[in-house]
Amino acid sequence: MLPGFNLSLGFTLFYLGLIVLIPLSAVFWKTSTLSWSQFWDTVTMPTALASYRLTFGTSFLAALANAFFGLIVAWVLVRYEFFGKRIVDAMVDLPFALPTAVAGITLATLYAQSGWIGRFLTPLGIHAANSQLGIFVALTFIGLPFIVRTVQPVLEDLEPELEEAATSLGANRWQVFWRVILPMLAPALLTGFALAFARALGEYGSVIFIAGNIPMKTQITPVIIMAELDMFDYAKATAIAVVMLVSSFVLLLGINILQWWTNRYNTTNLA
Amino acid sequence: MSVEVKNAIKQFGAFTALDRVSLKVESGELVALLGPSGSGKTTLLRMIAGLEFPDNPQESQILFYGEDVTTIPASERKAGFAFQHYALFRHMSVFENIAFGLRVRPKTTRPPEKEIRARVEKLLRLIQMEPLGPRFPSQLSGGQRQRVALARALAVEPKVLLLDEPFGALDAKVRKDLRRWLRQLHDEIHVTTLFVTHDQEEALEVADRVAILRAGRIEQIGTPDEIYDRPASSFVYDFLGNVNLFSGRIKDDSVVIGETAFALTEKSGAEDTDAVAFVRPHDIRVTRSASGQSTLPARVVRCHAAGPLANLELERLDGGGWFTVQLSREQFHELQPRTGETVYVELKTVKVFAESLPINYSI
Amino acid sequence: MTPAATTFHPPREPRRQLNTEPVWVRRLLISLALSFLAFFLFLPLAFVFTQAFAKGIGFYFKSLTDPLTWSAIKLTLLATGIAVPLNCVFGVAAAWAIAKFDFRGKNLLLTLIDLPFSISPVIAGLIYVLVFGAQGWLGLYVNAEHPWFPWLAHWLDEQNFKVIFAVPGIVLATIFVTVPFVARELIPLMQAQGRNEEEAARVLGASGWQTFFRVTLPNIKWALIYGVILCNARAMGEFGAVSVVSGKIRGQTNTIPLHIEALYDDYNFTGAFAVASLLAFLALITLGLKTWVEYQNARQDETEISS
Repeated sequence: MLPGFNLSLGFTLFYLGLIVLIPLSAVFWKTSTLSWSQFWDTVTMPTALASYRLTFGTSFLAALANAFFGLIVAWVLVRYEFFGKRIVDAMVDLPFALPTAVAGITLATLYAQSGWIGRFLTPLGIHAANSQLGIFVALTFIGLPFIVRTVQPVLEDLEPELEEAATSLGANRWQVFWRVILPMLAPALLTGFALAFARALGEYGSVIFIAGNIPMKTQITPVIIMAELDMFDYAKATAIAVVMLVSSFVLLLGINILQWWTNRYNTTNLA
Repeated sequence: MSVEVKNAIKQFGAFTALDRVSLKVESGELVALLGPSGSGKTTLLRMIAGLEFPDNPQESQILFYGEDVTTIPASERKAGFAFQHYALFRHMSVFENIAFGLRVRPKTTRPPEKEIRARVEKLLRLIQMEPLGPRFPSQLSGGQRQRVALARALAVEPKVLLLDEPFGALDAKVRKDLRRWLRQLHDEIHVTTLFVTHDQEEALEVADRVAILRAGRIEQIGTPDEIYDRPASSFVYDFLGNVNLFSGRIKDDSVVIGETAFALTEKSGAEDTDAVAFVRPHDIRVTRSASGQSTLPARVVRCHAAGPLANLELERLDGGGWFTVQLSREQFHELQPRTGETVYVELKTVKVFAESLPINYSI
Repeated sequence: MTPAATTFHPPREPRRQLNTEPVWVRRLLISLALSFLAFFLFLPLAFVFTQAFAKGIGFYFKSLTDPLTWSAIKLTLLATGIAVPLNCVFGVAAAWAIAKFDFRGKNLLLTLIDLPFSISPVIAGLIYVLVFGAQGWLGLYVNAEHPWFPWLAHWLDEQNFKVIFAVPGIVLATIFVTVPFVARELIPLMQAQGRNEEEAARVLGASGWQTFFRVTLPNIKWALIYGVILCNARAMGEFGAVSVVSGKIRGQTNTIPLHIEALYDDYNFTGAFAVASLLAFLALITLGLKTWVEYQNARQDETEISS
């Protein structure tokens, strides 16, 4: 038996408790100072409801867009050779590495009416800045690496024999993709989608600059929490935080179930 | 003639996998492609399947029942291919794996659902896995997976069945059972079959004919008896089983090893040259006394008698090195050799090959 | 392994990519992927640097050497300097416990470690406000009529001890959001490596710490460095959580990202991008280091296979 179990586990639990768990429990303490009707009125006030719709809707669409483009990016990075591939591969992680505030002001300026991209969109009647489209753009930026980095390793590990087997059984390239490759990628794709979605739900820094934070229109839920905090109404802020926490946990649970489901093919239980 | 390969060349970078290979397989035959790793046997099989294409399409040809398929891609070649590691689709049940080849057919040639079901059921019966259709590949044993891979390849009613190391990934025991099963299956359905193996015992036991490959060429092809009894080269001889090497000199119809002359079974064609004599361990007789003049004196280094055969390791007294002798249990008990004692050996069957190469490859 | 002279090693037969798409499909997919990335990654990155130098190099350096910028940089370095080493120690300890031992509730612990990833940064800030804010546990304690340890409450009151809208809150929020980074890199690796080598070292008489420093640490070196790099990048760039607890007092509780926001809100766009270029540069270094570490790791694996 190796030494250090008590020390390492003890420290781990102590640290997690101090930094994460005890502070987190304050949320429930604060919520309990509200009566049920107060709580319900807060979490269902019109601005909050609008913000849930906006946050969940744009996050979902952004994750969807990422699932599509992320799959193509991962596919191209794994399967094809082209100039600058290594740099492109490294750059995929930029949204992880670039601070959200920097991403936020950059996207806001790029898509502003006079910005590099905005000036081409404005004549078309498309306004990205201070609109839901802008939020979608920011959330797509944030979520990109999740899909690519979950799909890429699975795609790399796909044995070429599987495709050869399908081909030798008479399947054409399109059938090989739909019937063999895509089903094998599906769990990774779904996991990546859920991760990107979860990240988008809580995103703050990259969104607030481009969103304009117009109540009922472009105010995401974290901004509502922030607004309540600015008014020192901590109980209200906490109530809305509880809604978000619960949805993140449900999503986390979903991801875990998804991973369990993925492993279903791989568990060997010989009967 | 059901499968014919003519003059195929395949190179991977600087490595030559196939060096002008030609091969003919009769209809309904079961042929083994035998060779050490890197000899090109898998490449040849993949080329027949259409998973590789020859580098010299102008000069080479692949024919299925006389029809030129050289440029036809794998998906249209109708060759059933079973992969070494099975390549079963993990996300499909056994049933769906077997049905795959039928389901991907274009609408016009796809059999109706009822017929697909019937055919898969029939194949499941054939591989003796009827109740296991709804299982996933991960829930099967290695031997079961191999049989599913076979059934999947058979489902499309292939013109030829190609098996890459069909027993390579299995335990010794399962291997033997499955080997016998494959032979029976082939006798039942009689589809022309080629399989790749590096196990000479497997090839000799299962196949109608064996092709031995070496460095991208077919060294010899023939029935198991032919190649075992009349190997065309020292390589084939060595590859087919354990062998002792004795360096000596050819004189007339015999080979002189040390002081002793041994008669050759076949004329070597060479006259009065240095040569290497090949003797199988079971083609050596051991006696206590130098009975005739055709014996070599040797010292017993080690004996081990566990199993149906006893092995003796002997060292030549004239300093010519070590060799191995295989005795039956009875012979061993009759002789009762002791470590360190001197015995006399007679070489019953000696082979000499005209090539003067010391072989030092290992498999 | 046997030396090459005695064994014949056929070169591994490279597989021809049989299963590939027609050229036009490949070109279409490559251009689709590259234009998407160009639009979403390269363009914004290039934009940061062009905007930063929009008013010339003189203005750029003036923005960077501004005392408010400097105080933001110092505060960011302080918070990062505390958060990264702490989370590094935590990551190693957690990975050691989880990878080298079996105990009940391991999966729960793994989920708890990942928790800060799935919590919105704004909520991360909020929970510290609830604990240490004036209306929070700390405030209640200090202002309580009969606190548990009156001397402590009195002392805290006298010191005017503040966490929220002060430096300690910023440090805590930074620690919170970066808790999982190192642990996440180490745990799967150490689980894959198993405990054979450590047990061998123990049998040979190494002490616990010797085992760790001489056997474990060299094996996890690259993953540890990688985790630290990511942790560092996130710590320096954290915005949401810090923005809740900081109070945004210029020159006192503004970190670099908060300072960028302040400049941007003042319509000093060039100044904001000048400071942002620092963080963008840091991101590029992070990506470069990450690629390098992955390369080193792959090389190490390769030499292990071939030797």
